[in-house]
Amino acid sequence: MKVTIRIWDFPTRLFHWSLVLAVVAAYITATLGGNLMDWHGRIGSFILGLLVFRLIWGFVGSTYARFGSFFPTLPRLAAYLKGRWHHLGHNPLGALAVFALLADLSLLVGTGLCSSDDIAFEGPLFKLVNDESLKDKLSGLHAQAFNFLLVLLALHIASIGFYRVIKKTNLILPMLTGKKEVPKALAIPVTGGGPVRFFTTVIIAGAVVWGVWGGVELIKPVESAPVPATTPSF
Amino acid sequence: MKTKLTLAIILATATTAAFAGPVEEQIRFRQSAYSFLGWNTGKIKKQVVDHPETFNKDYVAAAANAIAAVANSGLGELYGAGTDQGIGWKTSRLKPEFFQKKDEVTVVANHFNEAANELAKVAATGDINAIKTQFGKLGETCKGCHDLIRIKE
Repeated sequence: MKVTIRIWDFPTRLFHWSLVLAVVAAYITATLGGNLMDWHGRIGSFILGLLVFRLIWGFVGSTYARFGSFFPTLPRLAAYLKGRWHHLGHNPLGALAVFALLADLSLLVGTGLCSSDDIAFEGPLFKLVNDESLKDKLSGLHAQAFNFLLVLLALHIASIGFYRVIKKTNLILPMLTGKKEVPKALAIPVTGGGPVRFFTTVIIAGAVVWGVWGGVELIKPVESAPVPATTPSF
Repeated sequence: MKTKLTLAIILATATTAAFAGPVEEQIRFRQSAYSFLGWNTGKIKKQVVDHPETFNKDYVAAAANAIAAVANSGLGELYGAGTDQGIGWKTSRLKPEFFQKKDEVTVVANHFNEAANELAKVAATGDINAIKTQFGKLGETCKGCHDLIRIKE
């Protein structure tokens, strides 16, 4: 006997697909460069907001969005590998992937905030880094973290494909509609989340992003332009 | 006769070496050049892109002229043999493949020169939007060399 449950709530789905678009846009703007680097920075800040949102939502969101419901503890992993994990939501291996992606994206955002492209773009926190060699290292780490992201994304997409072809399970549809047909015995009540918590979490995430951009201006305000010396015409 | 030949060889070697200078000096001079470029691109970014309310036509034109001057100063001379190894102000980040990619390097280097010259021309007009556009194009040419021949940290 199967029932349809709401497995992925709207905020989680919105987060996921916004992240997909943002990551693609961040890649394109960084590759093209020039004046698009400023957009790269803005998109990176948007990703910061998304990550902050997800971090909070992992504690106040609905059942399957909460980290507690899918955190890959060793017993859960062992059970899954022995074929004894029968629950809903992210399975323990999928959970490892989720946390790896979130961690790598956090590293990307963190290093990006402190990076420079050595041309004309600086992350908003670049001026707070005092050590010269550390500045170069952070920019380099930003690039390396992106290479690792490509590996993770390849695994992510390959897994979705594997589930579709081999396990005959469509994972994309539930992440779009939020609905999944499950055996009635597994369908526990889905609680938590809701519009009030969603709205509050968005405000907090927005505040963090504003703080990173606008707040830095308060610490190091823009100086007015110095009076230029006149250049003799050689 | 032998001493004249020896003298000629020594002079020839000394002259070419003196032109380029020791490896560390070449690295140091070009690192200085790019650092100086960064100061000037920063000025233009601030007044033309980030805070156009502070735009000063002469200030930006001076910065663009400085960039063009550096671009036209013959930096190629500072990429002599062996300059992928060594320390100027900091360790050289030139990829060893540079020496096998001379043709591609010439292309991207010329793009940079052209963009810098164009920026100096546009900056003289004081048209902030045109300057912003050309400044973006300049940044892309900087990236051209970085992507091709500079080691990522």
